[in-house]
Amino acid sequence: MDLPIETVRLSGGPLSYQVVGEGRPVVAFHASGGPRAGALAQAVAAGHRLYMPVTPGFDGTPFHSHTGGMRPLAATMAEFLRTVVGARCDAMGQSFGGWLALWLAVDHPDLLDQMVLLCPAGLREGGKGGLPQDPAEVRRRLYAHPDRAPAEWRSADEMAANRRASAAHTGDVAFDADLAAALPSVKARTLVVMGTRDEVIPVETGLLLKRHIPLSHLTYVYDAAHAIDIDQPQRTTRIVRAFLDKGPAFIVKDAAA
Amino acid sequence: MKFSFFHLMPWTELEDAPTQYPVSNRDFDPVRAKELYDTYHGQMAYAEECGFDWVACNEHHFSPYGLNANCNLVGSAMAYRTKTAKIAMLGNLIPLLNPVRVAEEYAMIDCMSGGRLIAGFVRGIPHEYIAYNHDPNQSRDRLREAIQIIVKAWTETEPFGWEGEHYQFSSISIWPKPWQKPHPQMLMSASNEESAAFAGQYPTIIGMTLIADLKIAARTIDTFRESSRAHGHEITPDSVLTGHHTCIAETDEEAREHMREALKYFHKVLMRPQQDAQAIVVQGTRFFQDERLGQGFTKRLETLKARTLEDQIEAGSILCGSPETVVKQIKRINGELGNGRVNMTMKVGTMPDAVVRRGMELFRDRVLPELRNH
Repeated sequence: MDLPIETVRLSGGPLSYQVVGEGRPVVAFHASGGPRAGALAQAVAAGHRLYMPVTPGFDGTPFHSHTGGMRPLAATMAEFLRTVVGARCDAMGQSFGGWLALWLAVDHPDLLDQMVLLCPAGLREGGKGGLPQDPAEVRRRLYAHPDRAPAEWRSADEMAANRRASAAHTGDVAFDADLAAALPSVKARTLVVMGTRDEVIPVETGLLLKRHIPLSHLTYVYDAAHAIDIDQPQRTTRIVRAFLDKGPAFIVKDAAA
Repeated sequence: MKFSFFHLMPWTELEDAPTQYPVSNRDFDPVRAKELYDTYHGQMAYAEECGFDWVACNEHHFSPYGLNANCNLVGSAMAYRTKTAKIAMLGNLIPLLNPVRVAEEYAMIDCMSGGRLIAGFVRGIPHEYIAYNHDPNQSRDRLREAIQIIVKAWTETEPFGWEGEHYQFSSISIWPKPWQKPHPQMLMSASNEESAAFAGQYPTIIGMTLIADLKIAARTIDTFRESSRAHGHEITPDSVLTGHHTCIAETDEEAREHMREALKYFHKVLMRPQQDAQAIVVQGTRFFQDERLGQGFTKRLETLKARTLEDQIEAGSILCGSPETVVKQIKRINGELGNGRVNMTMKVGTMPDAVVRRGMELFRDRVLPELRNH
């Protein structure tokens, strides 16, 4: 999707975002690679008004004055939602973005009704999984089907800058113990989606989230690694749209399905 | 060595050879079926008394070949008729079934038997795909995906959904879960190199039937060993089960006479229609990914059917003779293949039930003592 980039001035600095579609609002938090409006975003935008903020520090955007961890970042995104979206909405976060969405749900429960976490980062017990430094190994861990990966439009320097931005927010922490302790307080109905071949986020993360988030669902996408929506776009889209569109009734099979 | 008593549960009353699959059921008699089930269940329960380590059966459809449309029903009966023998389901035809249902039923048998289930994950023989109207081309992929669902259903600690290629489930959380941890012992069929390589991906026992040539069987086991090693498992003799039609009698002559008669009905009546159907499926699809394996499968059936009893004994597909002869035959096969488990089908076709029982007792008294520590 080729969308214009808009900017809003928040208390800590400017924040860029894209918006597309009509319907109940959904805000999508990107992975540590940076924003990517792919097939999943298109599918969600076909039935929802989709907001895609660029996390401060990514893709050349400035860090905000109160950068320094995922909770301040969640506060920034809460301000974005109140300022730009202006209504309760649903959230969707992939990997790094899932971590961010979780803190948003913990600290700002008044903003979210539902949340989709696609192989979320931040809860890798014992440091299991993760992304290595070697680019070839990174690619192997991201994709079960590398032939389906889109061409990367960012330069190597831009990608490295995004990785640094991610580290600046997360502190390269594998397991966010404060977040884990706060999971039982999450009010948003949550769908956790994990790839059966994901070597970046261990299966234990999905089980932890399912166990401790009171209203939650865990779904495995078969034959998908960490870049779950790229390995299996149709399967990922089907389950995410069903959840966003039908809420708790998404577990009931459609007559037409 | 360890031994399994396997039952096909054949229908023994057909006078005319059926010409087509599925086989017409116009002459089916439920009263006779009740008698057969009683007899067959009795034989399986008796197998434990005769020292067999497993009692086993499998699943077939739309044919007098076996009255076992759902072997799990027999498995649940055996859970209560036996005390120590493993209940070997060899197995459910996984690609044809709802994998969640398989996970549930296997877990029930495992709990009812106190952890004695051997969980067979088999693709089935080609004609079964006609019975349940599934595309044979998808059989391997469906098996691969279904195994993952079943193992997850057994081992996951939280409800989960599944978005797959062939299966979608919104939320799975089976009750009961299996007795055995992390899950029941698995068994997969590996009668050719393709299936042996596939089985090696899992911590499983392999079952090999229709052995037409011991050297080819040995190569298949080598493939399984290599594939297992590549996936982090080291196989042992206990990892390999070979299956054989078996008749043990007082003398070689008596055993051979019984087996010859039984095989006539087995091949002419029980096997005939499904062999035709199998040939149609194998020729018209990619049930075997490697075309040569499909040709090989059809040829193997033809070869076994055309061979004399003596040829089949020599090839390793049949065990037949006095107890002492059968001991020698098993040792020879074990020497070639290194298998630690033997699966015996004693009720072959119309083999008289008294002969089956006597064979079981001869096994207990004169075969098992020679081989238990072999």
